Amino acid sequence: MRTNSGAIWASIIALFLGFAAVTQVRSQDVFSRSLNLETPSSLTTLIANLSETNNELRNEIFDVRRDVSDAQNSISSGQGTLSEAERQVAQLRVFSAQSAVAGPGVAVRIEGAFDERALSDLVNELGNAGSEAIAVNEMRVGPKSYFSGTVDHSIAVDNRPLRGPWTVRAIGSPDVVYVAMTRTGGIIGQFELIYRTTRFSVTKETALDLPAQVVASR
Amino acid sequence: MAESPAPRKRRLSNSLVLLVPAVLFGLLVTLQWRTQAERSELSVRYNAPLIDAANALQNEQNDLKGQLAELRARLDEIQRNASTQSGAARELQTRLDELKASAGLTPESGDGVVVQLDDARNVSVSSRDIDKSICHATDLTDIINTAWKGGAQAIAVNDERVVNSSSVYCVGSTIMVNGTLMSPPFNIAAIGPQNSLLGAFDDPNQLQDIKQRRDVQGLGFRVSRASAVHVPAYSGALNVRYAEPH
Repeated sequence: MRTNSGAIWASIIALFLGFAAVTQVRSQDVFSRSLNLETPSSLTTLIANLSETNNELRNEIFDVRRDVSDAQNSISSGQGTLSEAERQVAQLRVFSAQSAVAGPGVAVRIEGAFDERALSDLVNELGNAGSEAIAVNEMRVGPKSYFSGTVDHSIAVDNRPLRGPWTVRAIGSPDVVYVAMTRTGGIIGQFELIYRTTRFSVTKETALDLPAQVVASR
Repeated sequence: MAESPAPRKRRLSNSLVLLVPAVLFGLLVTLQWRTQAERSELSVRYNAPLIDAANALQNEQNDLKGQLAELRARLDEIQRNASTQSGAARELQTRLDELKASAGLTPESGDGVVVQLDDARNVSVSSRDIDKSICHATDLTDIINTAWKGGAQAIAVNDERVVNSSSVYCVGSTIMVNGTLMSPPFNIAAIGPQNSLLGAFDDPNQLQDIKQRRDVQGLGFRVSRASAVHVPAYSGALNVRYAEPH
């Protein structure tokens, strides 16, 4: 009799253990990210994004291959590689925010309550939309730029306080960046729901002038 | 009265004989139940070809990045050899080297910190809290922002170097950094002054949301001091098409 009751208890516990083990494995499945969990619409967006990145890489490969052959030709004709190096210097100065730049893009104006995390998200979103150079008011955002709050509730970029209203200007394709900002469910729409009294306006700009980055002070 | 060892042993072996089938039965019942529950939820007929396409594009991207790195190294070598010819060329080469380093085109090594961010694991979370138990793109941007604030000199997320054009992109629950597909766990490597970096991460005013979700929902978040942190060079495109220097 005791043998049976022991076995029954063991079976119940084992049944429970089996159940728990599967539930555990399955719930880990749910939390571990995988493309299998995405909807077809998300997957299509991801694919478009990957294609865009790959196209940019192909263009860059084409350009650098040309630079390599130009440099080889210059050397064989005894000219040296100064012009290629100068072109690269100019490109890298723009890329790392060391030179002032001009170009078309968008301007986002923010009037009212706002905070540093939202500003950081906005700059990130402008980057996602392909912006090549970004400035907040007159401060150019650089490779190591950071955003912080100040005691008087304004926002500091690279430790320099900037008072509102804020204008975030971004050089890039005006149409692409504008649509990315203003689409339904996009970042501006989300901000409008969170910061209800704040006014946001996005405009396409044909000519923006952004200063070079001021080296961050700590 | 003490039992003799023989019946006790027999009873134990009886229980063990039952234990194995019972565990298997439990597994089967649960699997069957879960599979049925999920099948009705999954009406995603187009997913398989789309996932294949995404994976193929990611593989192609890895290959393109490899080609670009090789070409950049070749151009660098040609220019370096040519720069020995004149003083002006040497000066320009030094300028180019400095710019490449500040733009993130050269790998870096040094002391710093490593931040690990991961979805909550091994904890049961109610469906209402799932959103708080997984990592989001904004968590990564907050961590990167804190690292720059703490004086980081170079940062990489899962070996993708963070540069001026880097952004963290989120679609559904998938995250991309520099246009590369990523999934948790995330390792954020930051080279820089360790005490200042740790101070920034320990500051109770920083990353409040992440720290709260770590404590309540079990989100994985850990900052550790690390020596000889390696941060690779940026391997993506420079993409300067609209911005003209002046």
